[in-house]
Amino acid sequence: MNYMLLSPEIVLMLAALVVLLLGVTRIEQRVLGWLSLVALAAATALTLSLAGAGGTLLFGALTVDAFSQFFKLVFLLVAMLVVIASLSYYGKSRHQHEYYCLLLLATVGMMFVASSSDLATLFVGFELASISTYALAAFDREDMRSVEAGFKYFIIGALSSALMLMGISFVYGLTGTTNLQQIAHIVGEGISGSMTLALVLLSAGFGFKMALVPFHMWAPDTYQGAPSVVSSLLAAGSKKMGFAAAFKVFVLALLAIRAEWYVLFAVFAVLTMTYGNLVALSQRSLKRMLAYSSIAQAGYIAIGFVVIASITDVASPEGLSVATFALGSSLFYILSHAFMKGGAFLAVGAVAYMVQRDKSPLLDEDDIEHFAGLSKSSPLMALCISVLMFALAGIPLTAGFMSKLLVFSSAINAGLAWLAIVAILNSALSLWYYARVVKVMYWREPQMELGSVPMGFVVAVVLATLGTVVLGVYPAPFIELAMHAAEALM
Amino acid sequence: MYVASAIMVCFAGALVSYMAKGHARAVALIFSLVPLALFGYMYALVGTAYTEAHPWITPLGIQLSFAIDGLSMALVLLTAILFPLTIVYAWNHDQRPGLFFSLLLLLEAALIGVFTATDFIVFYICWELTLIPLYFVVGLFGGERREHAAIKFFIYTHVGSLVMLLAIFALYFASGLSTFDMHSLMGAYAQLPPALRDLIFAGLLVGFIVKLPAVPFHGWLPDAYGEAPTAGTVLIAGLLSKMGAYGLLRISLPMLGVTHSVGLFTTLLAVLGVGGIVYASLVALAQRDLKQMVAYSSVSHMGFVLLAVASLSAVSVSGAMFMLFSHGLIIALLFMAVGVVHERAGTRLIPELGGITHRMPVLAFLVMGGFLASLGLPGMSGFVAEFLTLTGAYPSLPTFVLAALFGMIITASYYIWAMQRAFFGPYNERLGEVMDVGATQAVPMAVLLGLVVLLGLYPAPLLGMLEKVATSLVMGVLL
Repeated sequence: MNYMLLSPEIVLMLAALVVLLLGVTRIEQRVLGWLSLVALAAATALTLSLAGAGGTLLFGALTVDAFSQFFKLVFLLVAMLVVIASLSYYGKSRHQHEYYCLLLLATVGMMFVASSSDLATLFVGFELASISTYALAAFDREDMRSVEAGFKYFIIGALSSALMLMGISFVYGLTGTTNLQQIAHIVGEGISGSMTLALVLLSAGFGFKMALVPFHMWAPDTYQGAPSVVSSLLAAGSKKMGFAAAFKVFVLALLAIRAEWYVLFAVFAVLTMTYGNLVALSQRSLKRMLAYSSIAQAGYIAIGFVVIASITDVASPEGLSVATFALGSSLFYILSHAFMKGGAFLAVGAVAYMVQRDKSPLLDEDDIEHFAGLSKSSPLMALCISVLMFALAGIPLTAGFMSKLLVFSSAINAGLAWLAIVAILNSALSLWYYARVVKVMYWREPQMELGSVPMGFVVAVVLATLGTVVLGVYPAPFIELAMHAAEALM
Repeated sequence: MYVASAIMVCFAGALVSYMAKGHARAVALIFSLVPLALFGYMYALVGTAYTEAHPWITPLGIQLSFAIDGLSMALVLLTAILFPLTIVYAWNHDQRPGLFFSLLLLLEAALIGVFTATDFIVFYICWELTLIPLYFVVGLFGGERREHAAIKFFIYTHVGSLVMLLAIFALYFASGLSTFDMHSLMGAYAQLPPALRDLIFAGLLVGFIVKLPAVPFHGWLPDAYGEAPTAGTVLIAGLLSKMGAYGLLRISLPMLGVTHSVGLFTTLLAVLGVGGIVYASLVALAQRDLKQMVAYSSVSHMGFVLLAVASLSAVSVSGAMFMLFSHGLIIALLFMAVGVVHERAGTRLIPELGGITHRMPVLAFLVMGGFLASLGLPGMSGFVAEFLTLTGAYPSLPTFVLAALFGMIITASYYIWAMQRAFFGPYNERLGEVMDVGATQAVPMAVLLGLVVLLGLYPAPLLGMLEKVATSLVMGVLL
């Protein structure tokens, strides 16, 4: 077995243990954040150095290929942004070793999900990431909302894990194997009706992590209550893990019965984007608004599933099959969304963090009122938030436009013009609440004095914004990367 | 490299003037003179057969390709002329000048892109990018109801553009060509199934007529024009509305000939056009606010473009193209003049003005020139445009042309009436001591008026350039 393929995960695992151990010594806690950052950077470098390499490990339970490496890079990028911001957010906390250890473990869990090719490893990775993030969501122990956020997330998460496990046992019972390739083979030969039940159970489990309507109820409360840095990790990282897992299971293993999940995902996609956008319109708390908008964006990404399930294969733009093009488009969307949403949560968190210090008893600290006049008190932050908001709304020269262009065109390419129209109308609707944030920042007078934004937040938000712009202005290599990753799975 | 450099210069100018803060206006002026020099040089020496292409998003068949022919040349020249003049006009703008002037340059970059792009996605991107600077210009520097106006303008035209985007996608995938190149796609258009051709044509049309704006899709316009600061209104009316007209002429017109329901669409366009001419001039007649009156006159004039496209006549179309250039100059002059009136007299309401010729003779002279040009007095550029459009359209659409003539009579009446009530007669003493227009504002207006008269007396240089394009577009040939 070639353990080099697992070197990024191994590095992070070791780093997590080292951070935890160093935490109980008398070491300066601040160092641990930097250590985690170095470990993440090392893991990223290792992942990049493994580009092009591939293979299976652990008796076929793990597969390292372009698809898994694409997702690993997304998770690592998000984790790095979150750590950079956390350097400021948790700069004085006494519990940094626990925090960074959990964060690294969550990242490892996500990376395992991305490369697993067996339902058992997939579930284990899923749980490793989930349990770590349950704890992270409740990490601000003194803040009641954080505790509530973690608790709610935990209860619903545990329920969905149980459903998913049940789905997995159904699949195992029907096919006699947990290996995704073998499942695909057996399902292709025809399978009884109980598979539908397994499908429903599995999609409930993944739907929860992807925050698809109707499994989204936890998301707004958790995203709002959890520490902003953790919300960013949840929205930009662990949600993407849900997609990675769902792509693995549905596209890799269950493609043969796509007629059965086609309708399911079509309903999910339409409900998710419409409901998310409609509710986002009326939010005063920006973290809640971002949570609902994140639900809506998951609906756009879910279009990929519908397209893949709907096609009878036709050639598409550069000779890829329509299904591969659709999957690649969703992957590019996932990468863009990681930057846009990760950056947006961190930016909102940064402002909320400053408000918290100033104490504002009547309003939530992330209330839209507190963003009034931000363009005067911190012009850089306001500019970044504007770019990120316009990107989320899909305005040209940002990642958001490019990813919508790809996803919507993949739907039209597959003859699903109605789905593209629903998505485009939704996207027009979303402009309303994204533009409102920009409006408040630029043309309201400030309500209170805000101090300067902590450095960690500034760096993380600027990096995320740069990523968003680069993906929008020079997308070609990244699109190729996503398409390449998609080809590996199909 | 001309177009790409002009766009890059504008982007760079936006960045530099944002950072220059206090010196932003001078920086912006210098940068905005570069595109003028570039396109002036092209007009004089390179000529109007020019293309350039740079690779961009190859996996999707998108490339940064630009081309300039007579029509594009006319519109980029208009853009390059109006921006420096607007910047000079807004010289005394002292509210966050860094931001204000950099937004103007961003807008210029996007507009140059729209008028020259020959790749559908690049065209769409530039088209959408015009919204961002204007959203801020209206929303930050506008009148009392600016927030409402800005967001309404943004969403309204964004929805129109999204429908257009859908049509572009449909064309892209139906053609199976794996390129967004306008020529190839429009060449493939004729081979598509009839129903699909109609749908694509209608989708593109929605985007264009919302931007134009054609009645009844002009809902965003009164708010945006009314609330925007003068410089913003000048640019929206002078250039942004030309984007819709440009789309109609460049894309809809050559498609129209090979569209399945050609009769239905020409009737629709003629009805929208003449309906707009008559309806908007009637609404203008009823306005008490000078700025709203000019705004509606602008809607009314854009109706001529629709009429010309519907007539499918080369003469009419070249008249409409001439109209774009001429109207861009005239409407800029008029909005600048109204801006000065508002600034000096403190009101734009016609009944509250009166006799201001006595205190502001220079301004009154300029306004008078603008009004006369706008109502189509012979010897002014407006006359050439309207005359050509209507004579060209008469053989195929006689009834519509007669109705449009009726609209022109109303146009003449509201201008003369406004002139009489606001500018002539005894001075309204309640206005107090009103100063005449200052040099920074008078000079750009005088330049505009000079150009209007020049083109009215000697239209050949512009018209010659346009006639060739008009003929080939009517024949269904691109560029």
